[in-house]
Amino acid sequence: MIANQRFTLLVSLLALLAAGCSSTVTMEMPTIPEPHMAKIPVDVAVRIPAQFQDFTHEENVLGKEAWTIKLGSANAIFFTQLFGYMFDNVVVLGPDDDARNYQFDALIEPSIEGFEFSVPSQSKTETFAVWIRYRMQIYDSIGNNAANWTVSAYGKSQKEGLGGSDSLRRAAILAMRDAAALIIMQLDKVTKISALADGPLATPEETMAAGDAPDLDDADLDEPIDYGIFAIGGIADETN
Amino acid sequence: MRPTRHRMAVQRAAITGLLALSLGGCITSRVEDARVNKTGLKEGDTVVVMAKSYHQGNETESDYISCIENALARGGSGLNVIPRQQFVDALFPWFEPRTAPAETKGLTGLMKRPGVAETVEDLGVRYIIWLDGDTERVAQGGSLSCAVGPGGGGCFGFAWWQNDAGYEATVWDLVGYESAGTVSADVSGTSFMPAIVLPIPLIARTQTKACKGLAQQLRAFITQ
Repeated sequence: MIANQRFTLLVSLLALLAAGCSSTVTMEMPTIPEPHMAKIPVDVAVRIPAQFQDFTHEENVLGKEAWTIKLGSANAIFFTQLFGYMFDNVVVLGPDDDARNYQFDALIEPSIEGFEFSVPSQSKTETFAVWIRYRMQIYDSIGNNAANWTVSAYGKSQKEGLGGSDSLRRAAILAMRDAAALIIMQLDKVTKISALADGPLATPEETMAAGDAPDLDDADLDEPIDYGIFAIGGIADETN
Repeated sequence: MRPTRHRMAVQRAAITGLLALSLGGCITSRVEDARVNKTGLKEGDTVVVMAKSYHQGNETESDYISCIENALARGGSGLNVIPRQQFVDALFPWFEPRTAPAETKGLTGLMKRPGVAETVEDLGVRYIIWLDGDTERVAQGGSLSCAVGPGGGGCFGFAWWQNDAGYEATVWDLVGYESAGTVSADVSGTSFMPAIVLPIPLIARTQTKACKGLAQQLRAFITQ
């Protein structure tokens, strides 16, 4: 009996110690404000991938603590909301829905390509930072891959309180807002999605194989983008 | 015997507390402004306090921004301050860290975007105050050690540290889309902690001093 009690006490103490070395951050349902922009006149379908339904990222800071961020379905809600603001008509498709059963001008498939963060003990600053790399794949109405675009977003929040969970959550939300800002400003300019309202890229016979579309990282763009308008930290006058 | 010892301990703690309250570290501060254009406020005009973007390497602490907001709004002659998050949300996505204009020349184009000028007018925002800078520990020294034993405990030693706060506030006038000028605060504070049995913290509240000084000067700058 006493041995059992001792064992329970020992396990509880070990559990307490283990809990002290790890932190779990759960994202609340994010909302983004309605953006000030003219809607893009395209009927789009958005395919929400399975990874957006329950996304979890774990990271062990070497020799220190372990962090877990549970984004859950935050990305699914975020992109549904964002594209709802950006386009005239939006149909949301699940991972198993057959796109051929729906009518649209363009199909957008967002996905998370990378997720990283840093905590104060790593960065030697009093801040938490989150980097999210999204990939936006865009197809026309007959399945041609029209564009691949990588969106790199960043959020930073100062350490507040003892644990830092709130600060890391805030940094993640800021990174998602950063992605939203970038997508609102550049999506049409980079991917030419509005052109798909006039019809698909080519007939199925002429179509290029899916995945052959150019990868539109910033450095890969053939046509120079007016970065003066979208440069970080400044919006130049478009009339200039 | 015990009550006497207890009374002595209480007296010692009270004296330490009083000392800590009455004494502080050394602080030197300089607050100055550089005016470019005339300022002034009409009935219903509001201001918003923003931090320059962290994309540009700015590290202004959020509690410092809140301190400036509160200090500007406080008192009978307080300014009408719009909470920055309300302003940023209302103008999404044009004042996010990535998209916020870095110079006043970007304001003309920004105001032409759908709904932006109308929202600014609805909020009554006349001035945007952009804060830049932070508080850093620049030096520290000394040594202080504490020990606890069966008969009691105590600390011995002496520690000190110096914090420097450097902040600059740039005021943008949203009527003329031009900069009205800048107000800056440079504060240096050295804190001490001598300890003979009990540590006596003599804290220099550097950031608070920089907040009060900058807010006071900003208020005078804007209202003239």
